[in-house]
Amino acid sequence: MLKSEEKKDIIQYVPFMSFVHPSFWHSLTEMKLNVDKLNESTKQVFGRYSYRDDTVSVFEVDGTSFNTNPEIELHYINVTGTLMNKNTIEDFKNIDKASLINSVGEIMRANIQTKSWIDNPNNLLNFFILSFADLKKFHYYYWFAFPAPSQPIVCLKEKCQNISTYFNEKQIKDISKSFQVLETTQKCFFAIIKNNDTAEVVKLSKILDKNSKELKINLTNTFFAFADHSNGPNPGWPLRIFLAALLDFCPNLSKTTIQIIGIRCSKNGSLTSSQIYNITVPEGVQTPENIGWVGWERNDRGNFGPKLANMSASMDPVKLADTSSDLNIKLMKWRLVPDLNVDVMKNTKCLLLGSGTLGCHVARDLLAWGFRHITFVDNGKVSYSNPTRQVLYTFQDCLNGGKRKAEAAADNIKLILPTVQSQGLNLHIPMPGHPIGESLKQETITNVKLLTEAIESHDVIFLLLDTREARWLPTLISAHYGKIVINAALGFDSYLVMRHGISSVPKETSMNSSYVSGDQLGCYFCNDVTAPGNSAKDRTLDQQCTVSRPGAAAVAAALAVELLVALLQHRLRVKAPALYNITDEDIDSELQGVLGPIPHSIRGFLHSYQTVLPTCTKFKQCIACSQVVINKYREEGIEFLMKVFNSGTYLEEITGLTELQLTAEMTEILTFSDEDQENTDDA
Amino acid sequence: MSSITPEEFVHTAKKFIELSDKFFDSWSFHQNDNDILKTYVKKEEFVNHRDEGEKVFLYRAEYIIFYNLSYGVPSFSFNIWNSSGTLLTLEEVRQMSLMKISKEDFYSVITQQEHPVMHRPYFIIHPCNTEKILLYFKHTTKNLIVTFLGLITPLIQLNLPLEYGL
Repeated sequence: MLKSEEKKDIIQYVPFMSFVHPSFWHSLTEMKLNVDKLNESTKQVFGRYSYRDDTVSVFEVDGTSFNTNPEIELHYINVTGTLMNKNTIEDFKNIDKASLINSVGEIMRANIQTKSWIDNPNNLLNFFILSFADLKKFHYYYWFAFPAPSQPIVCLKEKCQNISTYFNEKQIKDISKSFQVLETTQKCFFAIIKNNDTAEVVKLSKILDKNSKELKINLTNTFFAFADHSNGPNPGWPLRIFLAALLDFCPNLSKTTIQIIGIRCSKNGSLTSSQIYNITVPEGVQTPENIGWVGWERNDRGNFGPKLANMSASMDPVKLADTSSDLNIKLMKWRLVPDLNVDVMKNTKCLLLGSGTLGCHVARDLLAWGFRHITFVDNGKVSYSNPTRQVLYTFQDCLNGGKRKAEAAADNIKLILPTVQSQGLNLHIPMPGHPIGESLKQETITNVKLLTEAIESHDVIFLLLDTREARWLPTLISAHYGKIVINAALGFDSYLVMRHGISSVPKETSMNSSYVSGDQLGCYFCNDVTAPGNSAKDRTLDQQCTVSRPGAAAVAAALAVELLVALLQHRLRVKAPALYNITDEDIDSELQGVLGPIPHSIRGFLHSYQTVLPTCTKFKQCIACSQVVINKYREEGIEFLMKVFNSGTYLEEITGLTELQLTAEMTEILTFSDEDQENTDDA
Repeated sequence: MSSITPEEFVHTAKKFIELSDKFFDSWSFHQNDNDILKTYVKKEEFVNHRDEGEKVFLYRAEYIIFYNLSYGVPSFSFNIWNSSGTLLTLEEVRQMSLMKISKEDFYSVITQQEHPVMHRPYFIIHPCNTEKILLYFKHTTKNLIVTFLGLITPLIQLNLPLEYGL
């Protein structure tokens, strides 16, 4: 053991702190993927440190570290090292770190013993990187080592002193000049000889004779010098290996004081902040038979252990796509709509019933607005006529009978943004007045169950189906669960986009009110006095499938998504009021959201390029969302639904519509009397 | 005309590098003879940042000034990373800022985007206001890039030697 008074003086070296630039990981990744692949053999890399007095003690590696020749940078020393990149995290963890550094040390010892370092002093320094690259996550585990022998232990005779205590101004200038012209490979370790009024920098090979163990120089005016990265009172790490090499070359040095200069330069190249260390070698503390190698770097917690670089945010293309698309929404918030809630879109789950022209357009607009949960429902397959209008599909999806639409849409939207959470449900939505045969009964029950679960687990239900009656079941189930419903429907050159209210109990609205509370708004069926029957019956082929001007779907889908976003951004959400009359004039701020007032419905006509915004309240005899229908559904469940599917008139009966129609026909007859017509005109 | 041509930018950049060399600032000139729009000036430096708990962190900052074709002005971009090579987020950069600037204002000026020259994500100061301000200085300044840097300095820690003669 050391005695305590000796311990005080034992030299403390300033270790290197590894500093990895992002380009190092970029180059390593490229090399691993394109060149090395599974090859684990070590490779030569370059690192560098600066002896500037105004920088910290860092040891840097970057993209150029893999070059065949290192880049020369002013006031930097290049160091040759070794990279060992393991293929698995287990190999990285389990490799014996002590024997690894010793094996590097043995090579360095051979370099010392053959004295080849005297001609190439920079080769004395060495470093080692053990790494494992998880290229799926862009996580890089790494551990630097700067190997140096644990022996000899040396002491500082006195505190370090500034170079000016030994050299005058002129001599320091001499040193600066001759140091500047010294070859780069000699700049790490060299010697300085002080004469009466001059000083000169000499290569080690000038003063150390490889064939002799004795120094033929005057030690009183010879200083050994090294490029010192430290900027405190202790010398930098390279001195450790330098002293070991010097003492191995000439053991007699241990009997004298060794004068060392730590070269430190300022940004203009002056060496005035260089330090002088006087080194002595104490007797009795050396244990030559047990020399090991030290130099593994400590991690950020101060332990000997590896570090982790998580580069996913800047290297993982999936992350980059995700953050970049979020940025567009954030920009909107930062620049134009400061009250915009960005997270609400991220967290809202959308269910798209129908994955055709409307469904595809709606999905893309949702994506653009930052929605990240989109579920598609459809029971069709992609056909050759689809891709030109249904913007999520391609020709490939039509081949071999066509992929299932809902699944193809979910797959393809992930090609646009991989982080979107999307799935497809292939199911047929049963419809009123479309009788279910015995053979399809079980399947229908399953489909109702799947649809119910899907509606329950989403926040917003989009009705984008191609028939009127297919919208009935989801309207009812959504009303039961109180979900936000956005409905879009197309005619040939017209479209309807609307939101549904959620309350099944209609309230009397005052005739003088300028708006309808959002929950009191009518649904798609509230304004109809007939129950949905088989609307495809008695139609020609072109009427059976929706034929509409291609722009109608794009416009309607865009409006549907804008309507939803305006609603979600409103303080009252689904209860956001709908004005009877939306004008450009100032609207009470209570009645609008951060994106403006929110209409109940939008009817557009491409023929005349006009849009109207009708607002209607709930109809208490509505065949889809009235109290009586919801109650029946709650009480009887699937049995009630089956009755509806099998009968075209059952709904009209239970809601009293049959009765109403009779009354209506009577009114109609009365209205057409000449007398009434005149009265109306007068009014 | 308040904007400058790419040729003017390259000329100004060369003059700026002469100044930088003179004052031992470490800006470097990267000329691309095949594509003048890919010519830029760059500086890298270590930055010490003391957090609220007085703990000191060491970062490397890289600053790149390039020519923005759409606006016809110099554009400033940067990245800052820690010792493992991980880039700082914009929020972390904002908290390092010398000037106490509101979150909204900061975010409205600086956004992360793919760099038009480096083709990797960088923080870029939006050029929309640069044009207006530079117009004001265009005929009086000795070097437009020096003026430009002076305008940006409060946003991020950028040690601009006083010798540039601001």
